[in-house]
Parts: sequence; structure tokens; C-alpha cells
Amino acid sequence: MNSSIILSFITFIYFASFMSYLLMLVMGKSFLGRIGTWISLIGMIIHGAAIILRWMESYWLGIGHAPLSNLYESLAFFSWTIVLLYQLVEWRTKNRTLGAFVMPLAFLALAYASFSPHISSQIQPLIPALQSNWLITHVITCFLGYAAFAISFSLSIMYLLKGVDNKVKSSSLTKHIPKQGVLDDLNYQMVVIGFLMLTLGIITGSVWAHSAWGSYWSWDPKETWSLITWLIYAAVLHSRMVRGWRGKRISILCLIGFGCVLFTYFGVNYLPGLHSYGK
Amino acid sequence: MSRPKAQNLINAAWGFIGSVRLTIALLVILAFVSVLGTLIPQQESSVEFSRKISPRLFYLLNSFDMFDLYHSLWFRIIIASLAVNLTVCSIIRFPGTWKLFKTIPRPDREKPFESLAPEQSFVVNKSLEDTTAETELFLKTRYKKINVKKADNKTFFYFEKGRYSGFGVYLVHLSVLIIIAGALVGSFFGFKAYVNIEEGESVDSVYLVKGKKRLMLGFEIRCDKFNIRFYENGTPKEYKSELTFLTDGEEIDKRQLLVNHPVHFRGITFYQASYGAASVRKILLKIKSHENEDEEKVIEAEQNFPLAMPDNKGHFAITEFKDNFMNMMGPAVQISIMPENGQEVVFWIFQHYDLIRERFPKLIESSPRLNPSSFKPYVFSFEGFDYNYYTGLQVNKDPGVPIVWTGFFLMICGFIVTFYSSHIRIWIRLSCTETGVEISAAGTSNKNPVGLKRKIESLADDLKEILT
Repeated sequence: MNSSIILSFITFIYFASFMSYLLMLVMGKSFLGRIGTWISLIGMIIHGAAIILRWMESYWLGIGHAPLSNLYESLAFFSWTIVLLYQLVEWRTKNRTLGAFVMPLAFLALAYASFSPHISSQIQPLIPALQSNWLITHVITCFLGYAAFAISFSLSIMYLLKGVDNKVKSSSLTKHIPKQGVLDDLNYQMVVIGFLMLTLGIITGSVWAHSAWGSYWSWDPKETWSLITWLIYAAVLHSRMVRGWRGKRISILCLIGFGCVLFTYFGVNYLPGLHSYGK
Repeated sequence: MSRPKAQNLINAAWGFIGSVRLTIALLVILAFVSVLGTLIPQQESSVEFSRKISPRLFYLLNSFDMFDLYHSLWFRIIIASLAVNLTVCSIIRFPGTWKLFKTIPRPDREKPFESLAPEQSFVVNKSLEDTTAETELFLKTRYKKINVKKADNKTFFYFEKGRYSGFGVYLVHLSVLIIIAGALVGSFFGFKAYVNIEEGESVDSVYLVKGKKRLMLGFEIRCDKFNIRFYENGTPKEYKSELTFLTDGEEIDKRQLLVNHPVHFRGITFYQASYGAASVRKILLKIKSHENEDEEKVIEAEQNFPLAMPDNKGHFAITEFKDNFMNMMGPAVQISIMPENGQEVVFWIFQHYDLIRERFPKLIESSPRLNPSSFKPYVFSFEGFDYNYYTGLQVNKDPGVPIVWTGFFLMICGFIVTFYSSHIRIWIRLSCTETGVEISAAGTSNKNPVGLKRKIESLADDLKEILT
């Protein structure tokens, strides 16, 4: 049993959790939500264990390094941080409807890692440029930021759905979604976490680039796109905190922001640049 | 009449330059322009792109510096505008924040208590003096500075937390300016250069990226050795240069240079950037006799260095080396034989001769210069070679780096203050009523109203426990 087989198995656990949350939303039975939470918690624990196992496997192969070094490993970690952050939010807010919108993202990330024919799940040795203590801090801060933006994306979708529904009449699907004010407030908190983590990610990346490539900023596409993402969320925060924008406009900006996150993560691979390990 | 009008105009312009509306516009413009820079190939990679597009389009894009967008004047103007905007914005807003920081509101204000939630007040059956003393004692264990105001039948307490919270945003703005300043210092007083050094060789100058000019270092660097190590699967594991720094021929320092571990010497930083094969050091030849199979000799030869034939009749030399002959036949050397009598014989021998004979049989048969059996009485074969590496160093000087690092640090501090602290002001009122002393707690916060509500409720709970 190796870590990549366990990880592909967890994809189904997350799908099951997503289904439970969704059924809860449709049928309005709260026990289904509790089942969703338990399934996702079990998945998260096994997922965490699988990541640690992969770390150990790399040592058994004699090329020991943290499992954060290529697209497969980063997707697996991304999926895990989404679930972790979501469970924290659920625990704090005591609301499970968000699960139906967040768990599919965790499921998709892991499914893409496990089942895409273009992604190798093999443990590769670290090339000299990646052999740095900054690897772990850089990747962890970036992906915590991405995960917070992913949850912000889900909250924005919920906000817009609720908005469409308020205009017509309350359907059963969105009846259990919290009030728009609550969603907006939570969305803001997620954007703040994401922005702080993205800033830390860019800073750690910059300090690392300074020692690896001899320049703290070289306008490499990934660097540039992370800056673009940062600028968009900076605009979100300014328009909310100073100009008093709320709700729909912020939600739409957050969708654009998450689009930038996805392009920084995946789209950049189609452009030439220095961050080629992420392919 | 015209003076106030002009003044109004200036005020309006000043207000616009420092407006958050402009900030948001500039952030979005900067984001959009940066997107262009990732879609249009930049700098070196633009050469290939320029062949694919029409000359007219190329001319148009080039006149807007689209092929080196991030270093163009107009891109810098956008960044400068952002810097001016956030400076003016901070100047406009700072006095308000300062006033809020400086003024301590009167403790005996009634306004905060106007709309109280039931959780925020309770009544105890005690005298006002006792409750005042007990409340004061309790608050002093938690808060540093408490303002008390005693009036007829009433006592007011006022205290606050996180007075500095309002300054976080200025810290963030300052950090952005510091980072931009650091980048400017780097571009004015720093340089970026490259140099290749062959093993055993030394250099005293490097080539600047800008202008392709030579820059004298004022000292010498020698590459003693370059080493590359691989993992079992063939991916590179380590690139290592052993460098010696010299002045006037005297060794000052010996250092090892690896990727991710740059070397600093006299304010200049050296990075392991690339490597390659420089020149052939030794070539391993095997010479076999045609007649006697056992007569076999392995020789280490150097290029252009004549050696005697095994039978001492004449000389031979390696006159040329190619690491990939005709770009498809692999490493090859040209042998020139000078017999005691007769004409010079020249031919090529290949390291992978058997493979080549299989793939290009006609070529070998038809061309005696490519056939090692064409010379009698010996057969030469090319067994291997050993070459010198060169190490490719990136050489930088950037006095702006510590400034940028300071900016990064301040930015994180500023974010934490801005997002995770709030200026909380709390009033507590004790007032005599018919049933006893009524204790009420109220407050304001510049952000995070949910946190404030939670805080006041827990404070009221704690007070209730102490006083009853």
C-alpha cells in the first residue's frame, strides 16, 4: 500500500462527504450534514497520514524530502489544506451548508492529481534549485492562501445563489444557506487570511529566489501572476474596507480573484518560465 | 473671486490624487498590464515571437516597449503613480487617525449606553461605593489605564485597547514605499552580470547584462574545480564550484559555491547559474596492430601534442576534437600521422564507431577519412575523453536587498495590526436605581463589531460573577 493509492482512495471519501452535505442541503436533514462532517474528518486524517507516509517513502527511497515538490504533491496538499481550513470554519461557525460548496473543490483537486494521465504520482528526487529550507515555508504559505481563496470562492457562489433566490422566492436548496450578511462577513475573513498567506508566500518565494536565482524578483510568469492575484485581492480589500463595498460586487471580485489563483497555479505552466517544477 | 476657485481646484485635484478610488483603479490597471507582460514574450524570448507577427504589428508593439514591458518607462510611471497615490492618501488621512489616537473620550458619556442589549447590563443589591471599589479592583487586574468619573449616584469607567490599530494601514503603505525604494536603490547602485570560468582558469572581470559591457571586479576569481553529481535516475543532484578569490595573485579566500548557497565576497554575490564543457583535457586512445592482435597500447593524449608511434617509426597527433561530429555522430577526434617516409595521413576516429558503422555503412566505406582501418599497420580507436568544465556564475551587487527585506517585514507587521487588532473603547456605568446598582457595559470599535460584542458580553458576565 503506497501513499498514492491511499490518496486516490481518499478522492472517493471526499466525494461521499460532498454528497452528504449536498443531500443535507436538498433534504434539509441535519443528520446528513453531521455524516458529511464525519466522513470529511476521517478523510482528512487519512489524507494527512498519507502525506506523512509519502514523506517517509521518499526517505526509504534515499531521496528524502517534504512531499511538496511537484504538481501531484502540491495538488494533494492543496486538497488537504482546503479540507482543513473548511473544517476550522465549520467548527467556528457551526454551519454545514458551506460543505456542499467547498468539498467538491477538495474532491476535484485530489481527483485531478490522482486520475489525470498527465500527472505523475512518482516520488522524484529534488533538483538542486529546490533543495532549500524555503521550500516548505513557501509552499505551505502559498497553499494556505490558495485554500482560503478557494473557500472565499465557494462563499461568493453561495452569496450569488442566495441573491438570485431572494429575488424569486426562497427555494428549498438555498433555504439553509446562511443570510447574505453572514456570508459576506465570512468571505471577508477568508480573503484576509488568503491575502496574508499569499503575501507571506510571495515574500518567502522572493527571499528564496534571491538565493537560488540571484534575484528577488525576475518577472517570471508565476511571480507576475501571483502579483496580479495579490493586486486583485488588494483592490477587493480596499473597496470593502474604505469604499464600503459589500455583497454582490465583492463576491464577483472574489470570483475573478480565484480565477487568477487558478491561473497562477495551472495556467502559468503553459507560459515559459522558471517555475517549471510545477508541471 | 479667482483665488478661491483655484484653491478649490487644487483641493479637488489633491483629493483625487489621494483617493482610494484612484488606488483601486491603479491596482486594476497594474494587474491588467502585468497580464499583458506574461502573454507577450519578453526580452530574449521575444525574438522568436517577432518572426511570427507582421512587421507592422511588431513595430507597433515595440514602440510601446511591449517586449520589455516591466522595465519600460510607462510601467514605471504606473508604479510611481501608485506610490504618489498612497503617499497622498496617507497624508490626507493621517491627521484623523492621529486625533483618534490622541483624544481620550470623557468617561461619563451617556451616548454609548443608548441602545443596550439585555446581556450588557444587570443589577446588584449593594451600595454604589462597594460596587465601585470592587469593579475598579477587578478592572485594574485586566487593563492598564482606567479613567474613573464619579458623579451623583453614578460612577463611570472608561478604558480602551488597541489604540495603535489605526496605524497598521500606514505601516503597510510605508512598507510598499520602502520596497519600491529598495528596488530603485538596486537598479541605480547595483548591477547584474555573468561570467564563465573554465576549471583552472581565473577571471578579473564580468559581463554586465545591461549594455553587455565588461566590469572589472578589482579581484580575481579562479575556478579550481566544477563538480556535478546525479541521482540514480539521472536527474542532477548537485552542481558545485570550488572557487578561490585572489588579489594581486595572492589567495584571499577559498569558497564552495552551490545552487541555493550563494557566495558573498566584498559586497558582491556569486550564484551558481550554469555549467558546460569547456575544452578537452585528455583523450584516451587505443592503438592495435593489424598483424599482431596482442600488440595493444592505451595512450592518454592531449590535443596538438605529437606522440611517437608504437614502433617509433614516425609521429602522430590529435589535431581536432568534436564533441558531436556532424551533429549526429557523437564525439570524434582527428588523427594526423606523420610517417618516417611519405605523406601525412589524416582521418577521424569515433568514440561510438560500431554504432556509426551500423547506421551509416556507406558513409564509412566510401570515405577513407572516416575509416580508422585506412591506415596500416595500426588501428586507432577512440576510447574516451576527459574534459574541463566551465562554471557559469551570475554576479550581482544589490545594495537595495536589505531595504526590500525591511519592507517585507514591515508589511507583515502592518497586515497583522490592520487585520487582527482593533481599537476597542469600553465604558462601564454604575448607576443607583430603586432595586440596587445597575451595571452596564458598552463600547465602540473601529472594526470587527462581532468581536466587540463578544468581548463586552464576556466582560459583563465576569463582572456579574465578581459582584454577586
